[in-house]
Amino acid sequence: MYKLSVAVSLLLLACAFPHIWAQSASSPELPAGPLQAKATTACAECHDARIIVQQRLSKAAWTKEVDKMVKWGALVDPQDRDALIDYLSANFSVDKPQYVPERSRSSAAKKPAK
Amino acid sequence: MFSRRDFLRNMSGAALVASAVNPLLSWATDAQIAIPGKEDLIVRSYRFYDLETPVEHFRTWLTPAEHFFVRNHTHEPSTIDPAQWKLSIGGEVEKPYTLTLAELSRLETHSVVNTLECAGNGRAFQNPNVPGIQWQKGAVGTGRFSGPRLHDLLQRAGVKSTGKHVMFRGLDEVPGKVPPFIRSIPIEKAMDSDTLVATHLNGAPLPKHNGFPARALTPGWIGAASCKWLTEIKVLEKEFEGNFMNPGYRMPNQPVKPGEAVKPEDTHPVTALNVKSLISSPQNGSTSRSPNLHIQGMAWAGESDVTRVEVSTDGGTTWHAAALGKERAHYAWRLFSYPWKAPKSGDYTIVSRATDGQGRTQPATPVWNPSGYLNNAVDQVKIHVQT
Repeated sequence: MYKLSVAVSLLLLACAFPHIWAQSASSPELPAGPLQAKATTACAECHDARIIVQQRLSKAAWTKEVDKMVKWGALVDPQDRDALIDYLSANFSVDKPQYVPERSRSSAAKKPAK
Repeated sequence: MFSRRDFLRNMSGAALVASAVNPLLSWATDAQIAIPGKEDLIVRSYRFYDLETPVEHFRTWLTPAEHFFVRNHTHEPSTIDPAQWKLSIGGEVEKPYTLTLAELSRLETHSVVNTLECAGNGRAFQNPNVPGIQWQKGAVGTGRFSGPRLHDLLQRAGVKSTGKHVMFRGLDEVPGKVPPFIRSIPIEKAMDSDTLVATHLNGAPLPKHNGFPARALTPGWIGAASCKWLTEIKVLEKEFEGNFMNPGYRMPNQPVKPGEAVKPEDTHPVTALNVKSLISSPQNGSTSRSPNLHIQGMAWAGESDVTRVEVSTDGGTTWHAAALGKERAHYAWRLFSYPWKAPKSGDYTIVSRATDGQGRTQPATPVWNPSGYLNNAVDQVKIHVQT
């Protein structure tokens, strides 16, 4: 009965937080939108999307971050700058739910320590 | 001690809340990432690695290497051949020279137990939010670091009177136009007998993610002062000028209002850690079936000593002295414990507060600054007692 209740709980969680299950080590995806591909190209050259998706920032803060990253070599067409800031500000604003990170795998049996 | 199994038993599916999702999923699903040598750490970033220790792994005075946090500013060296690795010592010195790893290993070794903490640990609790890796509680760990004294390496080179700062360069691989992660420390700290070129952590060679084959170890200071994969030590006439010295890793000279911009000239470099504590048990969000709890944690104070830890079980209204553990070292955290019997079933907020040898203590709420550094607000966990 206990195992069943855990399974049901996990299923409920999977439905409630589908983005968690879609993540992988090498290629977490940025959210859909007109700037998804360009943002991925500009940012993922140097780091994975986790560094972006864990932020919850104002538009002013995103503007600073984008301009800093362009200075550091992110390839953003000047014509796309404002749209990229809008895309990040809309998807990773302060009112979004907290990001839930994964953990690194444990080599021990998946049995919690007492 | 609470376990995740206890946690699961005590939470119905309907009662699961977002704050409880992380520990549950990270154990019970395949949403886990293989990172050799690093076990069950919170992956803040995978490429490049930024890995946080979950508080439930803080059970011992020394943090095991597999649970020791990782803070990288850019990519790790793709390959390190110990036979080819070299460390150069130069700059404002009489006799610059180079060491191989074999030569470094033959030098007199010293050990320092040090609590290493990322300056940004606790950034996630700043309000308003600030950009950066959103560390919560576990960008900290305590290890026994061993290796030659930096003083001995510098003395052999003969530091000129013009030498005022010591710069560390690592083998980090830098993409694009990202500035290299190079920092410097004042000559006085570099010549301190406890500042090391560490080759070992807890008696074993440094894990690659923690700086193999050698890293600086600047005890009591923020982790960024202990550069990894060290390959060059250079004595400078003044502080190194680079992004990670300025504007990076600086604090406002005066307290600022949350959200307020600060001019670069009104800032100073972040150096020593401040006084801080962490509750490792019970876990936040857990339920206890017993009224008898053993509240445990650790407290540290950079270059200072922890003299007192207090625990509150009523959200900070009343405080009680915790017992400090016997294990101690100048730069290392002290374990603390406080046995407590909950008077009745219900929700409780447990808070810990440390005080150092200079009488400094932890603020009730984070002191905001634009980069979210040195957040040493009191720690708190919310639990439910159901007897």
